[in-house]
Amino acid sequence: MIKQMPAFLISLLIATFLLVTQTTMTNLFWLKSINMPVDLYVVLSSMATDLVGMNSKGAFPVIGLIFVGLLVAFVTARIISIRISINKPILYAMAGGAALLAIVVLMPLAFYNLDLIAGARTLAGKVYLICAGMLAGYYFGSHPAKGVSNEI
Amino acid sequence: MKFNNVRVFCVSLLLCSGIAASNGENLDIETVAEGLEHPWGVTFLSETEMLVTELSGNLRRVSNGVLSPEPIGGVPEVLFAGQGGLSDVAIDPNFADNSLIYLSFSAPDSDQPKLNQLNVIQARLDGNVLVDHKTILKSDPPRKTAAHYGARLAFLADGTLLIASGDGFNYREQAQGLDNHFGKILRFNTDGSIPQDNPFTTSQDALPEIWSYGHRNPQGLVVTNGGIVYQHEHGPQGGDEINLILPGKNYGWPAITYGVDYSGAMISPFTNQPGMEQPLKYWDPSIAPSGMTVYNGAMFPQWQGSLFISALVPGDVRRIEMQETNIIEEEILFTEFGRIRNIVSAPDGSLILVTDGEHGKLIRVSAKQ
Repeated sequence: MIKQMPAFLISLLIATFLLVTQTTMTNLFWLKSINMPVDLYVVLSSMATDLVGMNSKGAFPVIGLIFVGLLVAFVTARIISIRISINKPILYAMAGGAALLAIVVLMPLAFYNLDLIAGARTLAGKVYLICAGMLAGYYFGSHPAKGVSNEI
Repeated sequence: MKFNNVRVFCVSLLLCSGIAASNGENLDIETVAEGLEHPWGVTFLSETEMLVTELSGNLRRVSNGVLSPEPIGGVPEVLFAGQGGLSDVAIDPNFADNSLIYLSFSAPDSDQPKLNQLNVIQARLDGNVLVDHKTILKSDPPRKTAAHYGARLAFLADGTLLIASGDGFNYREQAQGLDNHFGKILRFNTDGSIPQDNPFTTSQDALPEIWSYGHRNPQGLVVTNGGIVYQHEHGPQGGDEINLILPGKNYGWPAITYGVDYSGAMISPFTNQPGMEQPLKYWDPSIAPSGMTVYNGAMFPQWQGSLFISALVPGDVRRIEMQETNIIEEEILFTEFGRIRNIVSAPDGSLILVTDGEHGKLIRVSAKQ
C-alpha cells in the first residue's frame, strides 16, 4: 500500500486536475459564448481559483471525494486481479472510470438530481469526467512499485 | 436652529422607539398556529382569516387564530420533493368580489412524468373547496431537478400577476436566454393572457410573458404602494441578492455573480457587465433569503416603508430600511426562532413569521398593548 502511494497520489492529482479544469472551462466556454470578456488571463486565473476553491471552499473538497472514490475502486480492482488475470492498466483504468462514474452519476441521485459539479451537468461532461478517471486509473495501473505489481 | 434641535429630538425619539421595538421589549410574540408541515406561503383573506400553504400539498385556513383541522379541498396534486411542493398562495386584487386565489406548485409533467414543472393556477374559493381551476403557467421546458422553483407570486397595481420562476439549478445558463422560463420573472393578466405592454412582446425570439431575466432562485417578490418591485433571490455561496426589478432588465445570473458554487467552483469571474443590473445589496456569507414583505402598517410606525426579509441561515429576519430605492440600514431581528421560511404583514399591522420545517409555526409579532 505504502509502496504504491506515490502512484496513487499522482493518479489522484490527475483526476482532480482534470475534473476541476473541466468545470472551469465549461463555465468559461459558456461565458465566452455570450460575449463576456474571457481572455487568457481570465482562463488561467479562473483555473487557479478553482483548483484552490473546489478543494477548500466548497461543501466538500473535490480531492477528498475523488480520493475516496479511487481508493475504493483500486482496492476492488486489486481483489479482482487476484481472481482474474487481466491487463493491469486496463483493469485500473476501468476502476478509475467507475470511481468517477459513481461521483458524477450516483451523487446527483442523492440530491434530487442536482449536479453539484457544474461540469458534470451534460452527458458530454459526464463522459469526459469518466475518461478522466480512466486516465488516472491507467496511470496507476501502469506504475507498479518496484518488485510488486499494482498493489494498493 | 431651534427647528434643527426639534428635528434632532424627533429623530432620536424615533430611533429609540425603533431600538426598543427591535430589542423585543415592546413586542408581543404569540404562536398563532403550529404543527404545519413545511409551511411556505401565507395570504390574508380578511382581517381575521388567512390561508397557509404546506409544501407537502395542503392549503390550510387559519380563522381568528385557530388552524382549521380540515385542509381546503380541490388543491391539485403536487410534487413534494426537494424544494418542490405547494408553494405560494395569493388572492386576487378583487377577491372580495370574485373569490379567486392563485397557487404556485411543482407537479410532474403530464407527457414526461420523470420531469416536472412550476405550475401556477387560478381557482375560486367556494366555502372550503377550490373550484373552477384555470392554468396560468406551466413552466417550459420541464426539468428533472426538484429545486430552484422561485414560485413567489405578487400583484402589480394594475392587477397583473408577477410570477418568480427559478433557474432549476442544473439549468442556470438558461436564465440568460429569453426562450424559456428558467430564471425569470413573468407577468400575466389574471385570465392567463399576456399583457400587451410586457417588455418583450415585440421580440421575435423572446417569450412575451417575460418581465425580467437573469435570476437564480427568487423567493421574495413584493410591490410597494408606490409600485416599486423588489425581489430577492437565493444566490450560491455568498451571492444572495436584493434587486430593484424593472421590466426588460437583465439581472445577470449566472454571467455575473458575487457568489461561488456549492462545490467551491467559480461560477463566473465577473461581478459586473454593461447591460446587466447590479443588486441593491448582496450577502456574503449567504443568509438564504426565503420571503419578503414591505411594511405599511400602523402598529410599528418606525418600520413603515421597510422591507422585511426572512432568512433560513442562520435563521432570522432582516429589516431593510429604504430611502427611495436605496438601502440605508440593515437590522437583524427575531434570531430566536430558527429557520424562518416567510414573513408577511397582517392587515392589523402585526407581522407573521413562518418558521421552517416539518413542524412549522405561524408566529405573530405585535406591539405590546
